[in-house]
Amino acid sequence: MSDFSVVGKPIPMIDAAAKTTGAGKYTDDLSLPGLLIGKILHSPHPHARIRHIDISRALELDGVVAVVTGADAPNPYGILPVGHDEHALALDKVRYVGDNLACVAAEDSRAAERALELIDVDYDILPAYFDPEESMKAERDLIHENKPHNLEKDYHHVFGNPAQGFAQADCTVEGRFIANEVTHAAMEPHSTLATFDLDPVTGNIGRLTVWSSTQVPYYLQHKLSLVLDLPMSQIRVIKPLVGGGFGGKSEVIPLEIIAAIAARKARRPVKITYTREEVCWAHRGRPRTIIDLKTGATSDGRLTAVEARVIQDGGAYCSYGVVTILYSGALLGALYDIANLQYDGYRVLTNKPACGAMRGHGTVNVRFAFESQLDEIAAKLNLDPAEIRRQNLLRPPAITVNGLRVQSYGLPECIEKVVERSGWAERKGRLGKGRGLGLACSHYVSGAANSIIRSDMPHSTVNIKIDRDGGVVVYTGASEIGQGSDTMTSQIAAEVLGCLLSRVKVVAADTDLTPIDIGSYSSRVTFMAGNATLRAAQEVKRQIASAAAQKMGCAPEELIFRDDLVFRRDAQRGVPRLEGEPSGENPSRQRSRGRTHEQANTSQASVAGRVEGQILRGSLQQKRKEDLTPKDFMTFEEAVVAAIDFHGALTGTGSYAPPAAARGGKYKGAGVGPSPAYSYSAQVAEVSVDEETGQVTVHKVWAAHDCGRALNPVAVEGQVIGSVWMGMGQALTEEMIWKDGLLMNPGLLEYRSPSAAESPQVEAIIVESVDPEGPFGAKECSEGALAATIPAISNAIYDAVGIRLHEAPFSPERVLAALRAKKAAKPLNLTEGVDPTRPTRFREHGGALCFKQKGPERHELDASRAR
Amino acid sequence: MTVKPFQLLCPRELSDALATLEKHSGNIRVLAGGTDLLPSMRQRLFEPEYVLDIRQLREIQGIRLTEQGIEIGAFTTLHAIENSDELKRSYPLLVEAAKTVASPVIRNMATIGGNVCLDTRCLWYNQSLSWRKSCGFCIKKDGNICHVAPGGTKCWAAFSADTPPALLCLQAEIEIRNASSSRRVTLEKFYTGEGDNYRRLQPDELVTHIFLPRGSALYGGAYRKLRIRGSIDYPLAAVAVALKRKNGDFEDLRIAITAVNPAPLLVAGVQSLVNRAMTRERMAEEIAELAARTAKPLTTSALTPEYRREIIRVFTKRAVLEAAAD
Amino acid sequence: MTKQLVALRVNRRLHELAIESSWLLLDTLREQLQLTGSKRGCDDSSCGACTVLVDGIPMLACTLLAASCEGREITTIEGVTEHGALAAIQKAYGDWGGAQCGFCTPGFIMTVKHLLATTPKPSEEKIREALSSNLCRCTGYSQMYEAIKAAVEAEQKGLAGDEKNAPSRT
Ligand SMILES: Cc1cc2nc3c(=O)[nH]c(=O)nc-3n(C[C@H](O)[C@H](O)[C@H](O)COP(=O)(O)OP(=O)(O)OC[C@H]3O[C@@H](n4cnc5c(N)ncnc54)[C@H](O)[C@@H]3O)c2cc1C
Ligand code: FES
Ligand code: FES
Repeated sequence: MSDFSVVGKPIPMIDAAAKTTGAGKYTDDLSLPGLLIGKILHSPHPHARIRHIDISRALELDGVVAVVTGADAPNPYGILPVGHDEHALALDKVRYVGDNLACVAAEDSRAAERALELIDVDYDILPAYFDPEESMKAERDLIHENKPHNLEKDYHHVFGNPAQGFAQADCTVEGRFIANEVTHAAMEPHSTLATFDLDPVTGNIGRLTVWSSTQVPYYLQHKLSLVLDLPMSQIRVIKPLVGGGFGGKSEVIPLEIIAAIAARKARRPVKITYTREEVCWAHRGRPRTIIDLKTGATSDGRLTAVEARVIQDGGAYCSYGVVTILYSGALLGALYDIANLQYDGYRVLTNKPACGAMRGHGTVNVRFAFESQLDEIAAKLNLDPAEIRRQNLLRPPAITVNGLRVQSYGLPECIEKVVERSGWAERKGRLGKGRGLGLACSHYVSGAANSIIRSDMPHSTVNIKIDRDGGVVVYTGASEIGQGSDTMTSQIAAEVLGCLLSRVKVVAADTDLTPIDIGSYSSRVTFMAGNATLRAAQEVKRQIASAAAQKMGCAPEELIFRDDLVFRRDAQRGVPRLEGEPSGENPSRQRSRGRTHEQANTSQASVAGRVEGQILRGSLQQKRKEDLTPKDFMTFEEAVVAAIDFHGALTGTGSYAPPAAARGGKYKGAGVGPSPAYSYSAQVAEVSVDEETGQVTVHKVWAAHDCGRALNPVAVEGQVIGSVWMGMGQALTEEMIWKDGLLMNPGLLEYRSPSAAESPQVEAIIVESVDPEGPFGAKECSEGALAATIPAISNAIYDAVGIRLHEAPFSPERVLAALRAKKAAKPLNLTEGVDPTRPTRFREHGGALCFKQKGPERHELDASRAR
Repeated sequence: MTVKPFQLLCPRELSDALATLEKHSGNIRVLAGGTDLLPSMRQRLFEPEYVLDIRQLREIQGIRLTEQGIEIGAFTTLHAIENSDELKRSYPLLVEAAKTVASPVIRNMATIGGNVCLDTRCLWYNQSLSWRKSCGFCIKKDGNICHVAPGGTKCWAAFSADTPPALLCLQAEIEIRNASSSRRVTLEKFYTGEGDNYRRLQPDELVTHIFLPRGSALYGGAYRKLRIRGSIDYPLAAVAVALKRKNGDFEDLRIAITAVNPAPLLVAGVQSLVNRAMTRERMAEEIAELAARTAKPLTTSALTPEYRREIIRVFTKRAVLEAAAD
Repeated sequence: MTKQLVALRVNRRLHELAIESSWLLLDTLREQLQLTGSKRGCDDSSCGACTVLVDGIPMLACTLLAASCEGREITTIEGVTEHGALAAIQKAYGDWGGAQCGFCTPGFIMTVKHLLATTPKPSEEKIREALSSNLCRCTGYSQMYEAIKAAVEAEQKGLAGDEKNAPSRT
């Protein structure tokens, strides 16, 4: 491994103590004098026209300061420029149970809640659509008038010659796969605090400041400006600590705009924090998806053609939907070498909360289908699942059939690693009754090469400023949401500048202070903000080098920055090493892999370490002042002082825009999928299945992930493990359960994200392909692994008990139903006629919403009545 | 949602507590560990004017050995029950069941009295006020329809506590008191079998003690619980088996199920299947069949009724065989 | 609704507060005492982000009435750090990736504090059981095991000097 001093080391997150002490502030922890609490009124109907909203009774209630409705902010918005179909508060229609109608800002929660009860809304109830295939048949009462057949968007892509490809196949497998809906369930419910300054001259409402739990502060600033008719310069968005996002905070969520509208009307600060149920309604999770997939292969396992028809149940608004349906097609064709590909994607509107981006955006459900079918083919052809994957590897550098450029490609090594570590060759198929191994692969983008707002603007820009005492401040718009972006930023800056990590302070995600960055989504931050940081640091380093070189009587190119020193290349020997500061690395984390815990010489970038360092540097400087002989080295601080004396302020800027070569083809929809680099993942899961109950236990997952270079191995492992674990949730326990547009499990008790009790050991194996364009070769590591886990588990279930599940999650009743179907034993109607090995449609929760004249008011043509 | 305002009463003496219950009868809720009551109050399932906190009533705390067996105060935490040496030795089935409740932290708060009195559960009921509004409410609270059995007038919410099936198998009795009297009933008689009015407890009454008879001590047993996660989750179906053996034969076998009916139920007729001339495996299967027939799950939870009933069958068989194993 | 005066002992300090009977301990800590370290992650008492110690025992602050806590010693995450130094478990969570977004972390730290106080050398099984009271959406829990093992080692080696000087746990 190359000789880095900060990069590649297992450094604790620079904000770790803020989190472990409870001192760090998340949005809901913040308060302001005069703060009001906002509560939102939600629609009880899945689809209705609003005839009239009467807020007068609510306004009279003690403690109520303002009530806002759609009329207070009529401009539409949406995260995609092609999808401006949302209103923060409904104007004329509500489109799902939970849609936003009005907001009360009051002195406390209780007053606000009581006021909600006093708002009277008159509706014209409309029939609602819950099943996407039914919804596509709609002729009347469309969810959005401008979307015939409730079709948000459809794409039809043909690459190569699929018909010919299938003709060449020795074996063709076809089937329908269904993946049910999942949601992010980040532990922090969304929260926003908005306040307006009063203009000091006019006393009118002035500038808006918003603190919000967001992954995309700049998009928020932009959408606020659209909806509130304010110039962006009049809006400041600040992102405090964010308690997890996973995509659920990667677009503008209604409460963010509602809080601002309410603050404007109340002329006081307003904070809204969602309940868990509201988080589920805000949703933007992974849509439930139908995948009709057909794959052809020759007898030696070479894929000849793939055809996929994908229907996504997008919910009531566009959200990221157009991007999701495109990702599903684009990434289908880019993991392996596939010459002929047909993709038909349908993003459909239904009267349910909007789906959006969720970890592994667009790729996960389709990858589940594809990797499962690949195993079906392998079984038919009597090939080892690892072998069939090896047969179809890309040969980089390559351009895939759909125009994606692949440079670094660690997939072969990932496969080898998991095969080796899991004992695949010896153990597969030999684990005894009910136990098995399964393998699957996946990949993901390291940021989108084309931003959702078409422009030539760099995707990330970073400024660095260095003070006279050697303090380095990095200003970045990148949004830390727990993935470690602030730590990554400081590591890159420290590595380039050769200074202590403890010198670097990161100021992040404040639109007034930090240059623009489009946000934390599509795993773009390390690649893009990392590259921008690298460039900014190189720029300041050049300035320091030129000044230092003058002092040292050499050329700037001869200087080396390292260990908080600047020295001449030829004078390496004899340069004193500063004790106790190995460049910010924490030796206690050096578990080269034996977990020796040398706490004694702990000298990380902790408070104590910093103080020691200061003293050391101070005395060293003192000594050096007396020493007037020509220098072969300077301390970093001395070099900085020299540079500031020479140049004035010491600042640098770097930015990153993906290169043209990485931006993909020219066909309609070609903009989604291209990335400057892709991560790769291969996994083996070991499971056992209880054949009488259908309960699946995951014992272990070996996950090899090609992240280009692991800038921080603890962080990379954490991201990979977290992804695999979340994939396991989708594979086994997590599912949004619907009944006629009602979400039956809008809480963490019933939406079951796994607990520690059943979470297996995940062995993360880092593969470093060193990407030519990534910062120090790094690529993404936070999403790509998720998609492989679901099929790896499915394939392992097949190995264990011989059933091929086509519907996720593999809940015990589905597994048992499949086992029963296979044994042709007493058929039990465990899943209401939906055979999980051959699913045809989505299953609704049992029981009845309406019966005769009882139950809620619904239109007579509504699915809930028709049933 | 916030809890609707109420007045909190925290007596130190049982007699005061009972007097308070009498005084505000019908308008007061008993708060024990609160792990069921408080989340429900946040969902506005209960909006009492008074809440009686029984935390300070020493008389109803702790586990005591008596002549007749063991007496457990209603306000004894499940944590204490799990860790009681006496219970581990004599009534291991109860300990096993208690250990599966919720999560360790919740068991630090949850009481056995609260577990016995636990409200019945249903996906159409345990929801926020605004959610319930959107489903038109249900007969258990504020509405006129049962969404899981829409033609009928009965509430089918499932009784979903873990210790009652164990207690039923152990023939536990409970002591119920009001200001003027005290009665002792078998736990079996405590439940009505209706989802809404699920327990026979007058508004002025308090469950004060649970008795485990000596005769049930040293019964072997097993508890099998269906949950999706290994922690936190309520049971979706569960079965308790208690067995007394004599010379290798089954002298007494008792089976109870929970989370599949509006009450926890002792499976009737088990003993008649015992010790007939058949293999143990076969016998376990027949008993399992009986238990499955006793279960009447409906769509009150995420898994289908058919599956939950099937699991009662599988788990009963397993628990019987496990209890029977040497 | 009228308020009543309640004396709450939090992190070894006595606070006299005017509160309503129906207020939950979590809201009271966060809003009245500005102790925002304890988090709210759910509305159905399932997530454990609000875990605090009550008389040394971990409990859910969202499922306790503040008024019921009179006379009991409450310890929140803010009371774990003493004299500005991290407890061994806090440091270990940071070093070993036990905290990603950190939202669940205060709850976990309280749970694990209690685990280590009652079981100084917990088995893997014991750790898993203790952790199963709290939900985390980021880490998959794996790195928490490493952190806890490291904290145990650190405490055993007596290297967590600051920790040792702190007043006794819980
Ligand atoms: C996330 C979560 C998971 C859970 N999982 C499970 C589970 O797996 N299994 C399970 O069994 N339970 C579970 N529970 C429910 C609950 O924690 C337990 O049933 C607990 O034992 C209830 O006891 P408590 O003292 O907290 O009851 P409380 O909430 O205080 O009371 C429950 C009910 O009983 C009444 N009551 C309490 N004590 C008395 C008394 N002495 N006399 C008369 N009435 C009384 C109350 O008025 C109230 O109606 C779970 C709860 C949560 C929040
Ligand atoms: S906030 Fe989730 S358990 Fe208390
Ligand atoms: S670290 Fe994010 S929820 Fe646990």
